[in-house]
Amino acid sequence: MDFKLTEEQELIRDNMREFARTYVDPVAVEIDENSRYPEEVIKKLADGGWLGMPFPAEYGGAGVDYLTYAIAVEELSRSCAATGFTMSVHTGLACGPIALYGSDEQKKKYLTPMAKGEHLGAFALTEPGAGTDVGAATSTAVLDGDEYVLNGVKTFTSNGPVANTYVTFAWTDKNDKRNGMSAFIVSRETPGLSVGEHFMKMGIRASQTSEIIFKDCRIPKDNLLGKVGDGMKIAMACFDHGRIGIAAQAVGIAQAALDESISYSKQRVQFGKPISKNQAIQWMIADMYTDITAGRFLYYYAAYLKDQGLPFSKEASMAKVFCAEMCSKHASKAVQIHGGYGYCKGQKVERLMRDAKITEIYEGTSEAQRMVIAGNVLR
Amino acid sequence: MPNIICCFKWVVDEAYIKPSSSGKIDLEWAEYKLSDYDRNAIEEAVQLQEKYGGSVTAVTVASSDATKGIKDALSRGPEKAYFINDDQFENLEPSQTSAILAKVIGDQIDYDLIICGEGSSDMYSQQVGPRLAEKLGIPCIAFVNQLTIEDNRIIAERKTDDGLEVISAPLPALVTVLPDINSPRVPGLKDTLAASKKPVIEIDLEDLGSEYERLLIDEGLRAASMERNCSRFGAGPEDIKAFVEAVRKTGVIDRG
Repeated sequence: MDFKLTEEQELIRDNMREFARTYVDPVAVEIDENSRYPEEVIKKLADGGWLGMPFPAEYGGAGVDYLTYAIAVEELSRSCAATGFTMSVHTGLACGPIALYGSDEQKKKYLTPMAKGEHLGAFALTEPGAGTDVGAATSTAVLDGDEYVLNGVKTFTSNGPVANTYVTFAWTDKNDKRNGMSAFIVSRETPGLSVGEHFMKMGIRASQTSEIIFKDCRIPKDNLLGKVGDGMKIAMACFDHGRIGIAAQAVGIAQAALDESISYSKQRVQFGKPISKNQAIQWMIADMYTDITAGRFLYYYAAYLKDQGLPFSKEASMAKVFCAEMCSKHASKAVQIHGGYGYCKGQKVERLMRDAKITEIYEGTSEAQRMVIAGNVLR
Repeated sequence: MPNIICCFKWVVDEAYIKPSSSGKIDLEWAEYKLSDYDRNAIEEAVQLQEKYGGSVTAVTVASSDATKGIKDALSRGPEKAYFINDDQFENLEPSQTSAILAKVIGDQIDYDLIICGEGSSDMYSQQVGPRLAEKLGIPCIAFVNQLTIEDNRIIAERKTDDGLEVISAPLPALVTVLPDINSPRVPGLKDTLAASKKPVIEIDLEDLGSEYERLLIDEGLRAASMERNCSRFGAGPEDIKAFVEAVRKTGVIDRG
């Protein structure tokens, strides 16, 4: 057993840290405040080869393992959770399914520009009436000659307003709840695809979220991802590896909360001494550090299993639920340590606390993760 | 088409320098990093290569476990590295480091220009660059914050206490650079992956054919400690008097 990262992994982590400090920190406050998509930062991520990390070089990727990719998401999220999430959705949920289930042609046409960062990807699954209950979706895809005709409304689509390529899901056979859903790749410029309402969110405000509306949207038959009826299977597989990215993002947010708490508590003087001298504060910091380390090893382990080609669904859910909940808890503790200042705009912990909450909700709520874990353990 | 050498040092990252409860410095868990100004040296070499062509070679003298440092340096652009390493190379004295560098560079590497950082992040003796130039018998320009090459000469702007000075010297030459000279690039993912595949020429003590006598010995490393007593003073005359009294009480200044 070896707990040490390779030199290459350490360097990649350090370089992402340097990238985030150089290009993300200076804009993080502003893009949160204005809910602005940081196009210039995403372009720099693309230039640095960060947007196709785990995919083969022949499809424009860098060919590193999933663990290294997740570590990069953590480091980026430590500076800006929204930017980390933009990268994570693009890589895990949009590029991921095409890499896993796409034909060679689909990989050349869609994955390659995405992995190079020339195109951004989005994952349009959730519908107004279908969140955790994916099967409650109503979107349909009807084969008409050489084309599928898509109809339906997707909501909470992350990267929705800024993506070039969407992976989406619709019923090809509404009567078959198990194998009736199929997955498709849709280009932004396809007639019949429109971007609906943009959502103003509590946190990760620089990540762009919207409705995606398909109205008689005709896509080539060849854009079917996997086989007819593979939709549910593909969606679940996407979530499995996407969750490792969210766990990493949550650890990044929590690490930032710890960084801020350590530096503030050493400086803030009350009752004649820095508050870090108080056991009450020391225990909060000790708990933060312990949970962050535990969470980090949980997602490292899930990523390791995936890299080894072993089953990792349960471990990804464990990492996701643990990291998300400890992240929310400790972001809140970080605000507590900062007192009134922490509750005000201008302190990073205020943003961290808002950003933290979503990690318990998206890519499967904490409750859904427990369903997965219990289902595995009680089998 | 200049052949450029950039020298770098793999040093303890100061972020990890923390005193133990006994006041000693524990470096067991310390991470290492490229010395700050050496990043500027490497970046300058790479920028000059982008402008004038030629080649960039990175050279370091280090202990044999500094392999990550080689990858780090190579990820920033040089096409190959000389890794002069031996487990005995710890706490080298600047005259020794420069002698080792001079031997390897003089015997084995074609060069027109050598770029060093002004000083290392750990010891900041600022001696290795000038001593190396002296040993190689080439001109040396220190405190450089702008550099161009023209007609086989370098033109360097030096930032001194009195102002800016522009100096020209024939190649081959050595310069030591200040951090103002450039903003080192952040290596992209593919740069890091490519670094592992670049050629590294390893040279050890035996290859050098010289003895190494350890001159600098660590007798003890102690941390400076800062104790806040959290007194507050205003800016009025009475406050200043109180401040002076308080400082006297600590013995930092005496009445004399």
